Amino acid sequence: MNIFIQNVRSTTAVVLMIFTASCAKPVDEGAGQTGGESIAVFTKNQTNPFFETVRLGAKNAAKQMNATVIQYIPTVQDSITEQLSEIEDAIIKRPGAVVFIPVNSRAMIPGIEKLNAANIPVVNITDRVLGGSVISFMGCDETNMALNTGRFLLQRLNGRGNVIILEGVGGSENSSNRVTGYRKALAEFPNVKLLASQPANFQRVQALQVTENLLQSYPQIDGILAANDSMALGAIEALDAARRNAFVVGLNGTKEAIDAIKAGKLLASGDCDGFRHGCLGTMAAVRHLRNLPVPKEFIFSVMVIDNTNYAGLDVPYEERMCPSWESVVKDK
Amino acid sequence: MSSLTYRLLGVLLLGAVLALSTDAFLTVGNLLNVLRQASLIFLLASGLTLVILSAGLDLSIGANLGLSACMAAAAIKSTGSISIGIAAGLACGMTIGIANGLLITTLRLPPFIATYGMLWMVYGINYWAMAGNTIYGFPESFREIGSGYLLGIPIPVLLMAACLIVGSVFTRYTTWGHEIYAIGANPEVARLSGIPVRSRLIMVYTLSGVMSGLAGIVYLARLNSAEAGIGEPLLLPAIAAVLIGGTSLFGGVGSLSGALVGAVILTLVLNGMNLLTISGNWQPLITGVILLLAAGIDTAARNWNESRA
Repeated sequence: MNIFIQNVRSTTAVVLMIFTASCAKPVDEGAGQTGGESIAVFTKNQTNPFFETVRLGAKNAAKQMNATVIQYIPTVQDSITEQLSEIEDAIIKRPGAVVFIPVNSRAMIPGIEKLNAANIPVVNITDRVLGGSVISFMGCDETNMALNTGRFLLQRLNGRGNVIILEGVGGSENSSNRVTGYRKALAEFPNVKLLASQPANFQRVQALQVTENLLQSYPQIDGILAANDSMALGAIEALDAARRNAFVVGLNGTKEAIDAIKAGKLLASGDCDGFRHGCLGTMAAVRHLRNLPVPKEFIFSVMVIDNTNYAGLDVPYEERMCPSWESVVKDK
Repeated sequence: MSSLTYRLLGVLLLGAVLALSTDAFLTVGNLLNVLRQASLIFLLASGLTLVILSAGLDLSIGANLGLSACMAAAAIKSTGSISIGIAAGLACGMTIGIANGLLITTLRLPPFIATYGMLWMVYGINYWAMAGNTIYGFPESFREIGSGYLLGIPIPVLLMAACLIVGSVFTRYTTWGHEIYAIGANPEVARLSGIPVRSRLIMVYTLSGVMSGLAGIVYLARLNSAEAGIGEPLLLPAIAAVLIGGTSLFGGVGSLSGALVGAVILTLVLNGMNLLTISGNWQPLITGVILLLAAGIDTAARNWNESRA
């Protein structure tokens, strides 16, 4: 399907917005619905498909619950200053509640404190904010996700061989948790040698280049553990061009990764399902406003997607429906 | 010795250090690998060199690469034709370049502002059109542009060589080329001596746009996928490659071969750090030190050369 053309045709209103605004403007996606609670959803950027799935999940949940969603997305990806000023914008607009993914776990504490001061309830999803007060944290244990995915690859290597790790952005919590998970998995397999662990900043092109370089210095690489799917797919391009073979795993379970698993190019992708984050986070926010119980903390289960189990996930996100709250959040 | 010879000192010194520290460095395979990696930055930097020679600046090249790659990707997906895809990518790059040229010559906006505004518009359009999606999976014959070989040499390297040769002949031996230098050195004098400054500037920004489009196509063929933000991390390295290569930000001085030297130095730093498996914690610091050393050696050598003259 041609997403690009579809979107070009879809509307001109957004174009006007682009021409008039240099900084992020909230996109009101609940137009036409009235009477519902308004939920402001904060994601990190417009580039990473993971956050698009979060936004779609939020939209879907809001529709199911007859609420509306306003999306706040920094135009400069992962911009701390922009997300802070978006919080200030939101405080003026006074949404019923906020569903929040911080661009940075520490730097966003003042932002959460501002929302607390304005008495706007916050549901923190995906990445934990390390301060302020939130109704609930709903996210995934990234270390555990990488541990399970790494273990899957190492088992496939029968516990022996040479592997490399492609790290994300140095100093970022996502990257360090994921790399820690991969290293824990490696510790369980003493006969697997870690040749190199090098940063590729979560970027495809850099992962391609780093893998090309490492292929030059190591004649035998059996496995590549990438801290996200984009890097895993970049590494696969490097392997293909060099006519070399290795098992590759990534993290995030993106649509592209699932297609690569189908095509037999990617071994597996660990997934915490951004769509569910968006769904459940938004549901929790609405439930809180309706005085229904919400757990203080909820950790999503991790799934390692491979060629045996991708089928249920191979659906366009636009067609996916949020699971019901009760089916996911079991009362203790 | 020409100033380029001094610039090569940096590359040679870096190469010598790497050759002594790892056996994997000085192999035909790795050297071609380095050149192939440098090609993307060089393609962007080559058009930018012309702009900077004219005392301008083009900050939209990264965004342009991204949109051109996505346009080419969308065109190939919807028509199945590789040539239409390539044409769409180049046309997109060219359109953005012409728009820059018009903003700068007609509205008389400073190049920094005009192309910075263009950067945002192009990203905005691309983010909106792609909506966080990725277009991927292209025919093998298209991907050859990025990953194929001709006579044992990677095709991106051949493209880079072709652009270097054509571009160098253009800047050194044609009247248009000389006029770009003249405009960069002093636009007022250039105008008074009868050079059509306006149309030359439009040409320069158009060429920069086309080169960004070409880089977008090579990116697409090499990565087999396109998403909206892909050009963002390439802008500063491309500017750095031009400046490390000795082209003056004030215009009138510099060369395309310098941009190649700059692109190769930037690529060698990453290549070397990977081959030596330097920890990610140290990589940014080491990158900074090496870039400053390379620039320092260059300045020192030039000063020494001038003091002898």
